[in-house]
Amino acid sequence: MAFLEVQDLQVYFPIKGGIFNRTVDHIKAVDGVSFEMEQGKTYGLVGESGSGKSTTGRAIIGLEDITSGKILFDGKDITDKKTKNKAFRKDVQMIFQDPYSSLNPRKRVLDIVAEPLRNFEKLSKQEERKRVQELLDIVNVSPDSIFKYPHEFSGGQRQRIGVARAIALKPKLIIADEPVSALDVSVQAQVLNFLKEIQSELNLTYLFISHDLGIVKHMCDNISIMYKGRYVEQGSTADIFENPQHIYTKRLIAAIPDIDPKNREKQFHNRQKVLEEYTQSYNDFFDQDGLAFQLKSISDTHRVALPQKG
Amino acid sequence: MEATDVKELEQAKTPSAIKVLLKELYRDKLALVSLIFLVLVAAFVYGLSIFLDQDQIVTVDLFAINEPPGEDFILGTDYGGRDVFGQLIIGTRNSLTIGILVTLLSGVFGIAYGLISGYYGGHVDNVMMRILDFMNILPFLFIIISFVVIVPDYNTITFSLIMSAFMWMGIARLIRSKALQERELDYAQASKTLGTSNFNIIFKQVMPNIVSLIIVTMTLNLAANIGLESGLSFLGFGLPESTPSLGTLISYATNPQTLEHRWWIWVPPAVLILILMLAVRNVGEALKRAADARQRRG
Repeated sequence: MAFLEVQDLQVYFPIKGGIFNRTVDHIKAVDGVSFEMEQGKTYGLVGESGSGKSTTGRAIIGLEDITSGKILFDGKDITDKKTKNKAFRKDVQMIFQDPYSSLNPRKRVLDIVAEPLRNFEKLSKQEERKRVQELLDIVNVSPDSIFKYPHEFSGGQRQRIGVARAIALKPKLIIADEPVSALDVSVQAQVLNFLKEIQSELNLTYLFISHDLGIVKHMCDNISIMYKGRYVEQGSTADIFENPQHIYTKRLIAAIPDIDPKNREKQFHNRQKVLEEYTQSYNDFFDQDGLAFQLKSISDTHRVALPQKG
Repeated sequence: MEATDVKELEQAKTPSAIKVLLKELYRDKLALVSLIFLVLVAAFVYGLSIFLDQDQIVTVDLFAINEPPGEDFILGTDYGGRDVFGQLIIGTRNSLTIGILVTLLSGVFGIAYGLISGYYGGHVDNVMMRILDFMNILPFLFIIISFVVIVPDYNTITFSLIMSAFMWMGIARLIRSKALQERELDYAQASKTLGTSNFNIIFKQVMPNIVSLIIVTMTLNLAANIGLESGLSFLGFGLPESTPSLGTLISYATNPQTLEHRWWIWVPPAVLILILMLAVRNVGEALKRAADARQRRG
């Protein structure tokens, strides 16, 4: 039994129009996504903006309504909002993309980090303060700053406060929605290494949503590539980076910059080649609507949306 | 951590919203003067009215009708021989009480209504806003006038309740539009994923973020509500003569004799209400600027 199982998840947003504000069409943000997760591993979800990767994460935690499909957490069906009970809320937490808006500007750090504790654990004021200081200590924010407000911190510190809040209840799964994309590169490494550190300590599972392939390669055991609401390729990190099968994946990987100027010519030609392949075989790999086909297994870990003809 | 440490840290906090408001008031001398004036008038009126007996003041004295200001009566008497100065004090108290009560009652209800409607959105919002629209199109003057006839015991409390029932829509709409914005922000969404109940998100997470808007709107509403009470009383549908207010005093001026020859009855309350409303407005405008960092002077 998988730890988290998503079956044929669909999230459609209605487009309203006409005189009576009827639903005239849908935006298929997530269109039939299935995957499984095992405990203690990191799963990357990569895609261009608008590909539905954030929506997938938000649908799992219950911030978006699910159009159809099923989500099983620890074997329990948690698809419906009502079934997302207290235990689920405690076990699944989220790290948000923007550290500037995900912390309530009117609350002190103490109140922000203690919010989940107040919801789930009855602690005395002293115990609560102690716990918050421990958590801040874990994320390398000075425990003395519990009475400060979020705007008194730098972006990196704020994101780490967000992380402290997410790990306060010792969850099993953390959905990290582009946790470092708003941060400086130097701070990115700091936060990422820290996430890895606490993963082994707390046996956390991450769903790591990102558009930065370098980070994903560094962080994840397993990577899924998403395009227009569908998976185009799914496999272990080695599968994706050493043996990409889908043309979209190939293009993404070719686009990773190489800082060695000696390779410049080579890289350029490589990219040209991939682009040529992409334009030539575009119609083979995508249907008339420009959507990817069903995933097919090509090895135990590797699944690709290969052309129907084979 | 020792208790002293905690205390020191708490003192090192950044300026709170209250401090910013006070600073803005201090920079805007007109608003500061207005605030001091308001506090003085309120203290004077509420303080003095403790010693004045309302029943005695409104008792008709046929031997002292329409006396001009003099030794016995500082501001003269009206057509019933009642002391105008005493009526002015008690009337100002009643008018202020009504203004504050109506602002608070309609404010609290309107804020809660707007927050709930905006936060939940969707169908809840739709139904609640249609109810609000219905309340909005009711001819509220007409209904208040009907109430005046029906309600047997007509005083400041019942009058405030009736007025509040028709005054909460504006603030509810304003707060709702703000709540619609706030609920989409990450911190509100984060609270949801942390297992915080909707009630707590609405009143403990979202509301503190719009508190400046609430303070400003309530202050400006206060000015309007003091005026509205006087307007209704002037038309004869406000408080009865047994409960003097600024409006009832001014309405004596509907008598041409009073208007022309007995200025002491209607000029003081008219001037007082003008200054009161202006002062509240000045303070409100200063608060409004304080709430918006780009407009601040301080």
